[in-house]
This record gives sequence, C-alpha cells and structure tokens, in this order.
Amino acid sequence: MSGAAERAVARASADGRRSRWGSLLGSGLYGRLDAALAVSPTRRFALLAAVPVLWVLIAHVGPIVQMLHVSFLDAYPPSVGQVPAYTFENWTSFFGERIFIMPFLRTLVFATTLTFATLVITYPVAYFLARHVKRENQMLLLLLLLIPFWVGEIVRTFAIMILLGNTGAVNLLLSWAGLVERPIPFMYTRFSLGIGIVYLTSLYMLLPLYSALEKLPSSYAEAAADLGAGAWTRFRRVTLPLTREGIASGCTLVFLISTGYYATPVLLGGPSTTVFAETVAGFFHVAGDQWPVGAAFSCIMLMTTLALAGIFIRLMGRGGTGLLK
Amino acid sequence: MNTLPGRAPMEHAVVRLEHVSKRFGDTLAVDDLDLSVPSGQFVSFLGPSGCGKSTTLRLLGGFERADRGRIVLDGEDVTDIPPNRRDVNMVFQDYALFPHLTVARNIAFGLELKGEGRAAIERRTAELLAFLELGEFGERKPDELSGGQRQRVALARALARDPKLLLLDEPLGALDARLRAQVQLELKDIHRRTGKTFVFVTHDQEEALTMSDRIVVMNEGRIEQDGTPEELYLRPASRFVASFVGETNFVEGTVRGTDGGVTTIDWHGIDVRGVARGFTPLENEPVTGALRPESVVLHAEKPPGGAFPGRIASRLFKGSRTTVSLEAGPAGGGGRLLAYLEPELAERIEEDRVWIDWRAERLSILP
Amino acid sequence: MTRWTRVTMSVIFWAFVVYLFVPLVLMILMGFKDSKFIGFPIRSWTLEWYVDVFRDTEVLGVFLYSAAIALASTAISLVIGTWCAVLIGPRRFVGRAALFALVCLPAVIPGIISAIALRIYARLLEIEPGMLAIVLGHAVHNVPFVALVVLARLATLPASHVEAARDLGADEIVAFFRVTVPYLRPALIGASVFCMLLSFDDFIRSFFLGGYQPTLPVLIFAKLRSGMSPEINAISTVVLVLTAVLGLWAERSSRRLARTKPSGAA
Repeated sequence: MSGAAERAVARASADGRRSRWGSLLGSGLYGRLDAALAVSPTRRFALLAAVPVLWVLIAHVGPIVQMLHVSFLDAYPPSVGQVPAYTFENWTSFFGERIFIMPFLRTLVFATTLTFATLVITYPVAYFLARHVKRENQMLLLLLLLIPFWVGEIVRTFAIMILLGNTGAVNLLLSWAGLVERPIPFMYTRFSLGIGIVYLTSLYMLLPLYSALEKLPSSYAEAAADLGAGAWTRFRRVTLPLTREGIASGCTLVFLISTGYYATPVLLGGPSTTVFAETVAGFFHVAGDQWPVGAAFSCIMLMTTLALAGIFIRLMGRGGTGLLK
Repeated sequence: MNTLPGRAPMEHAVVRLEHVSKRFGDTLAVDDLDLSVPSGQFVSFLGPSGCGKSTTLRLLGGFERADRGRIVLDGEDVTDIPPNRRDVNMVFQDYALFPHLTVARNIAFGLELKGEGRAAIERRTAELLAFLELGEFGERKPDELSGGQRQRVALARALARDPKLLLLDEPLGALDARLRAQVQLELKDIHRRTGKTFVFVTHDQEEALTMSDRIVVMNEGRIEQDGTPEELYLRPASRFVASFVGETNFVEGTVRGTDGGVTTIDWHGIDVRGVARGFTPLENEPVTGALRPESVVLHAEKPPGGAFPGRIASRLFKGSRTTVSLEAGPAGGGGRLLAYLEPELAERIEEDRVWIDWRAERLSILP
Repeated sequence: MTRWTRVTMSVIFWAFVVYLFVPLVLMILMGFKDSKFIGFPIRSWTLEWYVDVFRDTEVLGVFLYSAAIALASTAISLVIGTWCAVLIGPRRFVGRAALFALVCLPAVIPGIISAIALRIYARLLEIEPGMLAIVLGHAVHNVPFVALVVLARLATLPASHVEAARDLGADEIVAFFRVTVPYLRPALIGASVFCMLLSFDDFIRSFFLGGYQPTLPVLIFAKLRSGMSPEINAISTVVLVLTAVLGLWAERSSRRLARTKPSGAA
C-alpha cells in the first residue's frame, strides 16, 4: 500500500490537485493501520468485535450482574469504615411479608389482564388496517396512529388524568347528559390505571399484530371460504393461528412494558392499586441501606417476568421471533 | 472510441491455478484444479450449477481463499493476497453499482482509491464513458439506467484500473433473450478492442460457444475438458461434455476392429464407423461414441457406400428444420438416433423409410 | 367479509383513533383555561399560560437540558448500535445469537428494573446522579433500537456491493465508509430521530439517574404531584407539538430515503 501511496504522491505533484481519498490513503498513519488490519482475518474480526462485545458486557450485562451482587449484601452503599457482609435475608424478606407479596402478585395478574385487554382492543384495529384499507392509505393511517405515541408517557398519562378526573371531560359529559348528579370517582382506581396503561401500550401490541396480519396472504382465507368455512370459523381456524407469532410478540412486549411503569401508577392509581414498581422504588428513595433489599426485589421481579414471557413465547410461537436471519 | 489506452498485452499465460482446492463445509467445490489462462483470450468457464465455476472465479478474484494450491498472476503468487490488492477486477452478476454515486463516480471509484490525481481521474473516466458509449449518462444514477446500460457501467468500472485480468460472473443472466444476444456481441467486440484477458462464467452452453476463444467445461469441481469451441463440440472428451454441449447421440456398441484410424463398431447388429483419438480401442471392448444430430446424413434411396436402413419414428417441426427420431433397421426397432431432416428430402421419403450414414470422423469414440 | 362486519370494524378503528387523540386534544384545550385549577367546564379562555411558558427561563432551561441529553445519548447509541449491527449482521459466527440477545437486553427489561439497575451501577462506577448518568443510561437503553433498525436495512444490502468495493481497491474500512454507510443513511436517520424521541420522553431512567436538575418529563411529573394547573398543560402541549413535528418529519424523510434500493441486474 505504501508503494501505491508513493506513486500517488509523485503523480499528484505532476497533476496538481489530489483527490480527497488519495490524500487520506497516502498518509503514513493510515498505511500502518491498514497493515495492522491485514494481518489475518481473525485479527480483523477481533478488532471488529471488540467494541460491541465490551460494550455489551460492561453496559448491558454489567448492571444486572451488579444488581444481583448488591442483592446479597447487607448494606449498600457502605458507610465509612463498614465492610459489607453477604446474606440471603434480602431475598427471604420478600417471601415473609404480605406487604411485599401482595403487590407483586397483584401486579402480575393486573399486567396479564391488561395485556389480554389490549390484545382484544387492538386486534380488530390491526385487522381493519391490514385488510380493509388500501395499501397506499395504510401507511398514512399507521402514521396517524403513531403520532400520539411520540409525546411520551408523562404527557399522555396527564391527558388521561384530565379525561377521567372529577372535573374531567367524561364526568362533564355524563352530567350534561343528565346521567349522574355527582361526578363518578374514576381516578385513583384500578379502572383509571388500566385505561392509562392500555392507552400507553396499545401501539406495542398494534405494530406486531399489524405486521403479522399484513404478511398474511388473503388466499388462505379465500381457500377456507371455498371449502365452506363461515366468517367466524375462518377467523378462528385460519387467521388467528397464522398470526400466532405476532400475538406472541405483542403480548410479551406489552406485558414486560406494563410491569415496568412507575409514573403512571403513581399518578393514576391509588393506595389500593400499589404496583410492585412502586414498592421497589420505595427502597431507593429512603436512606441508602435499603438498596440491597430493593435490588433483591428487582431481581425477583426480573426473573419472574422474563420467565413468564419466555414460557409464553415457547407456548405460542415457534421459539425465536425471526428477527435474526 | 475504438481502443482503450492501457498496458500492452502479455505474451504468456496471464494466470495459472496450480492444484487448487476449496472446500465449503462437507462439499469439495473445487477439486485439485490445474488451469492456465492464456493472455488476451476470452475464456469461459462452463458447467451446471454447483460445478465449481463460480467458486473458481471468486478464487481468481480473491473473494475466496484456496485451501490448497497456488494462484499465480503474471508470475506473482497471489494466493494469499486480498481482492483490493490484486490486479484483477470483476463484473458482478448483479452489477453491484453503488446506488448513491453517479455513473461517473462509480467508474472513478477504483481510480480514487488508487490515489490518482483529480485531472487523471477525470480524463480516464471520460475515456471509459466514450469507449463504452455511455457519454450522456455520466451524471445519472444507476437506478435511472436500463439493464444493458448498467452492465456497460459495471464493465467500465472494472476496466478503469486497467487490470491484468477481467472476470465476469454470469453477467448476462438477468437479461431477456433478445437483449442477451445483442450484449453478447457487444461484449465480444469490447474484448477485441481492449485486448484484455476475459474470464467469463456461464451455465449456458450456447453462450459459451458463441463468445469464447476457449471453453473450460467443469463438473463437480473438476475440469472435464479445456479447449476451443470446435474441439468441445466436434471432439468431446467425455460423455459429460458431449451431453452438456449441444445435442448428442450416444452410439454404444462393441469394437469389431480398427483399420487405418477408423474403428468399426457393432451397434445393435449394424456395423458403424467412428474415430478414436489419442487411443486405440481393443477388440470386443464396449465403447460409446458421440455423434451430433447434424452429422447424421439421410438419403431417400440407398446410396453407394456403407449406409444402413432405418425408419422415422417421430418428427418435431421446429420451423427452420425438423428434428426426427430414427430407429435403425428396415422396419425400425433397432438403435435410436436424432437427426435433422431437410424439407426437400422430406418430400422424397416414402413410408418413413430412410438410409442413414455419416462420416467416420464425426462419430467421436469416447475414452 | 360481510358489509356488517366491515362497518363494525370501521367503527372500532375510528373509535380507537378517537380514543387515542381525544385525551390529547382535551389536554391542549385545558391550557387555554383562565383559571388556576384544572377542570371542566372551561368558562373563560386565555393565552397567558402559553406566553408564560416561553417566558419562564426555568422551563426553557429544562427544555434545553432534555434536548442536550437527547443529542448526546443519541450520538452514543448511534455509533454503538450501528457497530453492533455491523458485527452481527452479515456473517454467522459462534455466539452470534447470544450476542444479539444481549444487545437487545435493555429493551426487554421492565423500565423500573432497568432504571434501578443503572442507578446501582452508576454508584459502582462512582458516577454521580446527573447529566452524565442520564446520558449513559439513555444510550444503553437505546442501543437495541438502533441495532434493530440498522440490521433490517443492512440485510437488504447485497454482499456483492461490498465485494465490488474491495475488488476496486478498498480495504474493509474504506468499503464500510464509502459503500455501507451511505447505504445505511435512511436507517441511521430514522434511528437517530427515534432515539432522540425516546430520550426526550424518557421518565423512569431520568428520574432515577437524575440530580437536582430535572428533565422535562421529570419536571412535569413533579408539578403533577404537587397539584395540577394549566401551566402544566401549556408545557405539555409544547412538548406534544415539538415531538409530533419531529416524528412526522422523520417518518417522511426516512420513507423517502428508504425507497433507494440497490439497483440489481434487472
């Protein structure tokens, strides 16, 4: 390479200007870099892989490992002069108290119910979009549906608050229609929290469903009709099974996301709806020595939700979401 | 522009493959290949899918690394040298024109990487655009061009660096039949005008026969035959070559004797004559001979000489000529042959009875 | 599909659209209410709240803070995410599936856990809660999204393009920058905008990793906890308009660019 570079330089002085790449490639630094790379395919691959692998280990795996580590300590962050000891207490304390297990189970059940509700609500929407709208218009309508989601969870939660509050729009409508005399307390209940979370997560269900439905050739349903199947049968025995993977991705996504919300339950929910996210967060806003317990609870929650999601995917799909070719 | 300025053609073989092998997993794609490509020629690698022709091409280009053997380019061992440092350029099957660059920038790409000066690059690009009649397309993007035009750009780009060897990976595969015929002629013309060594991969034997100075027929990673189109067609060295290149009759029988270079074969009870080249078949040895349909001469009445009777079993009208399936014997029922029937002769034949013979040197006895 | 079903589906669809938009419309309207308290009915209207938003230096400072974090974290995730995609994409190697799973990990962890894990980790690395922590936290969270978008686009790049570049004299680095990167441009732009939106809107990580200076979502959250007033609506509406415009612009330009496909032999 350096030979070519020399010739390039010689030619340049004769020719006047040199091309940009010519100057870059002619520089000595690049030549050395190139020589270092050219040693072997293995070396080249190692250089390519170094940054991503290091990043993934340090930034993706590291926090989880550290959280696991802290969950076994008796005090973290350690005060001056204190040497933390290892203990299982943080983990066992979860199983001992009703005040911890109840929100945990409640959150799981709630999240599962909401996931199912979101599925039922968005499936018809996805179906309509994929099969009853002309191709050209599908993109536009999808865009329309995307717009509210760019705003962010806090603003959207706030919007729900305005909708459902005692002086909110729904109550206003109801009292105008003469249906009620006093405002119905929608807020700070499971209902308001449910509406809020479905509102926030419906896109994550809609997109995989739409994607699966859009790829479904209409010939399958037509063949079923040809063989005598009615509309509901066609749906139940042809369309639904063939969109299994989309349903699986959507449900898993929504489940994992909805268990992770903190702000929305705080704003829309009340004492009776305390979700586990609030319980866990509570350990981090008090004095530092509650961190290990919080870490343990987080680990428990992480393992449970990932296990549930994994089981669900195994049951529904063919294993793997086909993202990786 | 009729010629392309570049280096003078070399006298010797421009590239040699010595005992080259390449394996992919369990499959041996190239099996101990020995090949020499003479300078300035248009050489085709011909064979069915999976025969190793594309792999060999990629080995020449540096996109695959040989497991064993050497590749020598103009006297220099390039076996371990990566493609960007080999003085070889390739026209890819899908042309691989960079979509974000104009035609001119595509062509100039290799020159920029060489470190050439701006003025030289512009000069050379203009030369190539003119040479390949792409003059007005310089500032267009690839997706604005037709298939044939894109192919010329790919060629121009590959020629820009004046490589010692130009590789072409089934470049005509995606063109429709009419365009393909036209482009074949264009490519041949470009080859003549540049004087470069072209190595061309195809699975279409007609294409290879039309365009090549030399054809290398490959099968299962090995070379079946390496010769001129005439040699391959008229004197195939193996059954595979005979059946792959053009249509062939296989005449199978037992040797009765050889006399003065001509071998007589007992074919289903009829004595027929053929020629074995480079070896002498033994008496009573079973042999197979390859006979092209157009070499079969048909007569309406018995001619002087050694013709034998036969019947026409079926005809296939193909416009310019009729292909007939023949059965040897006065009432048919003997060995089968394909032949072509001229319309004038067809009128004179009674009751599908014909007399069949051929020149002995047209029946190639396979080793 | 009978007419009846079609009509029902259509109704469901548009009801859903209404369901998505109505709360936001109401929220916008509330910002014009001439009162210190939020609630319907709106008797008198004013522009004061909106004017106040633009005059309030504290709020403007928070806007800029969030924007700066978005830019910085997007820059990081773009580079790392693309690097991961380029490594994972083209060829197979031992551990490829595992690496891909680990790259996606931050996106599948529930938000609260992600934030807590990062908070603990920051303590380990002795990074104080504040801008740096938030930027890194957002970067980590957004890498999977960049990787997925880039991988999808990368999969449509024929191997012959990179080979052609190498054939013409480019080594792997030059081929990457001169052929692969230009081809990836629509994906890179789309991914950047997506990351900026994700970062700008992010609450949970900003909440746990932040110091005294809040980001915009954290500010709105704090104000909501201490009682609602139309001021919050005005701020939220401005956020809505900004993000909607940004999102729409991104969608349109990425769609236009994504139409540049490699022109094959056909």
